[in-house]
Amino acid sequence: MAENRWLATGNFFTSYRAEQRIFLTHIDRLIFVCFLVLLFAWPLVFEVSNKYMLVIDSILIAIVAVYGLNLLTGFGGLISIGHAAFMGVGAYTLATFSRILGSDHVLLTHFWPLMILLAGGVGAVFGAVVGLPALRLKHLYLVIATLSFQMIFQWVINFSKFLNQGQTIAIGRVFWFAGKVARKEHYFFWYYVILIIVVILGFAVRNLLRTRYGRCLVAVRDNDRAADAMGMHPGFTKVYAFALSGFFAGVAGALHAYLWRGVGFESFTLHHSISYLAMAIVGGLGTLVGSFFGPAAILMLELQVENFAELVGHYITAVGDVATAFRPLSFGLVIVLFLMFEPRGIANWWRIARTYFKLWPFRY
Amino acid sequence: MSYFFQLVISGVVVGSIYALSALGFVLIYKSSRVLNLAHGQIIASGAFITYALTVWVGIHIALSFIMSMIITFFLAMSVERVFLRRLIGEPIISVIMVTIGLMSIIDGIIYMTPFGAENFSFPEFLPKTPLAFGGVSISWTQLVGLIITFIMIGAFTWFFKASTVGISMRAVSDDQFASMSIGISVPKVFGLAWATAGLSAAAAGGIIGNITGLNFDVLHSFGIIVFPVVIVGGLDSIFGAIVAGIIMGLIQQFAAGYLDGNWGLFGTADVLPYIILLIILLIKPHGLFGIHEIERV
Repeated sequence: MAENRWLATGNFFTSYRAEQRIFLTHIDRLIFVCFLVLLFAWPLVFEVSNKYMLVIDSILIAIVAVYGLNLLTGFGGLISIGHAAFMGVGAYTLATFSRILGSDHVLLTHFWPLMILLAGGVGAVFGAVVGLPALRLKHLYLVIATLSFQMIFQWVINFSKFLNQGQTIAIGRVFWFAGKVARKEHYFFWYYVILIIVVILGFAVRNLLRTRYGRCLVAVRDNDRAADAMGMHPGFTKVYAFALSGFFAGVAGALHAYLWRGVGFESFTLHHSISYLAMAIVGGLGTLVGSFFGPAAILMLELQVENFAELVGHYITAVGDVATAFRPLSFGLVIVLFLMFEPRGIANWWRIARTYFKLWPFRY
Repeated sequence: MSYFFQLVISGVVVGSIYALSALGFVLIYKSSRVLNLAHGQIIASGAFITYALTVWVGIHIALSFIMSMIITFFLAMSVERVFLRRLIGEPIISVIMVTIGLMSIIDGIIYMTPFGAENFSFPEFLPKTPLAFGGVSISWTQLVGLIITFIMIGAFTWFFKASTVGISMRAVSDDQFASMSIGISVPKVFGLAWATAGLSAAAAGGIIGNITGLNFDVLHSFGIIVFPVVIVGGLDSIFGAIVAGIIMGLIQQFAAGYLDGNWGLFGTADVLPYIILLIILLIKPHGLFGIHEIERV
């Protein structure tokens, strides 16, 4: 039976190749392309204020970071509570150049794609070094290793004169073919750059999981002894996962530096590491779509919480600092509630909705 | 030379508090294999409850110290009951992340109280003039804190060596199925482990609060410094936690005393434990006293 690639009501795979396809049906592909076009087109149609563009850009950067974390935690089963530090490594790679060569050096402003890649590379090196204990140890110990990396990172930044002791280090405006990117177009320009990076890296992650290495990673997560017996090297697989996650974090950090036109210590603290972890959990660990839902959900929540805290702060002024209280509180509640009631995250709702529409009007 | 001994004294004082903090952490890890990342927050709440009882309610400090230990005992027990009980059997990764969530929740709750933003200090109830032996001096608060810490550590050691509950907790940490088959209620032991951890954390918090004053950042950083301590001592060894706590306190004091200011180094006491942690993880991951039978990759 020739399968219908347009409308499939179930799985009719006859080969492993078919199962590994990215888009199961042509409709999926069509919807994806339409969605992509929409993403590229909407800023041209609607007038968006810089404030909201900044939020959207931040979400996209968080998506890049969460790709890496999801690869590590979701697919590799290794918790990292130092992800913001790896991002910081990427960002401070740029900051180092800015300190040595000046914030408007050609290298930073004209060759920025190269710098972003370089930041990713440095992040990967650091990731691999921190992941080295993975050669011998299991995830419990790796949590502690990443935590201590976070602490060491914070110390290095705070106490080194060269890195301005955590104060902001400026990064110049970048150049495009049409010349320097103007102040008005800054967020606009970076929206497109980051969007393209998100799409490329998204395909990279999806394809990585189809390769030998990706399946190796999942196998090691599910049962490392069996994976060992099948001829994989669990230790190297994990170190590799750390390096990859470091790469994504480094790229995200560099983008963060360019977007904010500066690198400051306060964007890469332990709290941020935890919020990236929250994004990965809320989105859905071990799913690619989760990497999109998580950052969007958490950052939107953060925005709403800020508004809400402002509102409450008007009425209750006596009790502590409400705004600083609500942020961790809502964060923690979201993490705990999702883990207790929906451990598969928003991606699971997405899956349910998809199957519903796929089979509609039938229920099963 | 007296400078050296002064550093030793303050190192032992700080180290014994680390030991007491690490004790609770190891307890939870030993019985239920959960890394409790919210331990620092529990320590902080213990300290704040002690302060609130002493100053706001007006109870004598010794009594409020004990009462805060009891309150935190039940608080930690209910935390286990509400959040962690339903996760028994779930992958360990989600349990650890629940403790991360808990950390944020307790952070949020504390920020809502005045303790989140301001610094407080306990009323002085001991003589102000420090005790001096030759060139070395130790303040009364430190001395009393040290004595209480050692009493607590001794009590816990007795508890695990001799009491039935303590032995059943050790049994659960050794083999859950075997202990179930001889009639130990494993969930109850988990709850008790959290409760005892809360109790020791409250004691640690009360002592820290008296020595350094109440600052939320300082207090919850004790929950993170616990990690180097337990890794050096061995994650599942109570004795190791005590020894490593004192070692870590000494290392920090020596670093602050001899390294800072030389060769352009500052704040080395904050970073050295973590560097040691990473090195220990690479070369001797079971620590000084941990069980060698470590889960291999």
